[in-house]
Amino acid sequence: MSATNDSADLEALFESIASDYAPPAATPAPAPAPEPAAAANADSDDLQALFDSIAAETVTPQTQAEPANIQPDAAETASGGEEWPKQEAVFNRIGHMARALHDTLGQLGYDKLLEQTVSALPDAKDRLAYVANLTEQAACRVLNATDIAGPLVDEIESSSSALAARWDKAFANQLGVAEFKQLAEETRAHLKDHIPAKTRATHAQLTEIMMAQDFQDLTGQVIKKVVALAQELEAGLMGVLLEVVPETKRTGEVASLMNGPVVNAEGRSDVVVNQAQVDDLLDSLGF
Amino acid sequence: MADPKMRFLVVDDFSTMRRIVRNLLKELGFTNVDEAEDGAIALQKLQAGGFEFVVTDWNMPNMDGLTLLQTIRATPNLKHLPVLMITAEAKKENIIAAAQAGASGYIVKPFTAGTLSEKLNKIFEKMGQA
Repeated sequence: MSATNDSADLEALFESIASDYAPPAATPAPAPAPEPAAAANADSDDLQALFDSIAAETVTPQTQAEPANIQPDAAETASGGEEWPKQEAVFNRIGHMARALHDTLGQLGYDKLLEQTVSALPDAKDRLAYVANLTEQAACRVLNATDIAGPLVDEIESSSSALAARWDKAFANQLGVAEFKQLAEETRAHLKDHIPAKTRATHAQLTEIMMAQDFQDLTGQVIKKVVALAQELEAGLMGVLLEVVPETKRTGEVASLMNGPVVNAEGRSDVVVNQAQVDDLLDSLGF
Repeated sequence: MADPKMRFLVVDDFSTMRRIVRNLLKELGFTNVDEAEDGAIALQKLQAGGFEFVVTDWNMPNMDGLTLLQTIRATPNLKHLPVLMITAEAKKENIIAAAQAGASGYIVKPFTAGTLSEKLNKIFEKMGQA
């Protein structure tokens, strides 16, 4: 998998720096600041100059014999560039990498794209936080409304069934005249006041649930913007990666058990799309 | 049938989801429900004792649901607890990993009240047999 290769490379790089590293004072001074050339493309020229200065300094040490054993001497003589051959080699490599990346980005026009995208990222973060906030509020409003409406409906059900039980008695001739009269009056009150009051209150909660959906419009707009940004970023990064990453490292998926919801299950055989498939899978395994 | 006083612990990092599960459990007649917002807090509450059923999400900060499940199964005084996972993780390897770790049931989000009821009953049946 590419991830482990990368980290092995990185570790080797880290160790090669760490093993040679001695008191900070001994860090080779960078070459004198390059003369600011034509102002038109200052950034690129600076980089070019920096690169040249590093490359120039490190040509000799790189061609020397394996530097692993000379470390003790180097620590004693401590100054100048040649005592740190390994470190120089690392700087050299980083210089080359930076140069290559910079050139690639420049040639492909990705530098501008990435610059825009990177500056847009904090904005995207805010937008997504806004979406999370609004959806949470909406969920709370809906849950509150159901908490209020539930008991209202339950009450209608229980009072109605109590009356119905008494009407059953009346039809079975088990009620006296006075009782029947009282039942009729209570039923009238139930139909006239009791139920309408409860249904009105329930209706108000249904309206609340409906209004809680107003987040959809707002979050929809925000999400569309973030999706557009993500697509730009993806396209830019993909372009860079395809240029830079060696063929052999281009495949290999991320294996993780915490991927969140499957956003698009089409054409995938490694995911389930409903509860029935979960159950079938577990059954097939004997759980 | 299960005891309506059975004490549930609902573990999810989203309060909305905890509330939904709690409401569904209430509709099914289980009103004795406590909540925890991640596996670490859940474990603390479980250690304090008194719980008879755990409903947990998978993807949570501090301690995820699978680790919680594994820890429960590895803890002598907790390992008998039924653990139902309700999660958005829908990869087959997730389901297999959960089953192997000893999950009592696995529900993928989004889910319905019917599914929850069905899975709970299935778990109660198994507990009754045991």
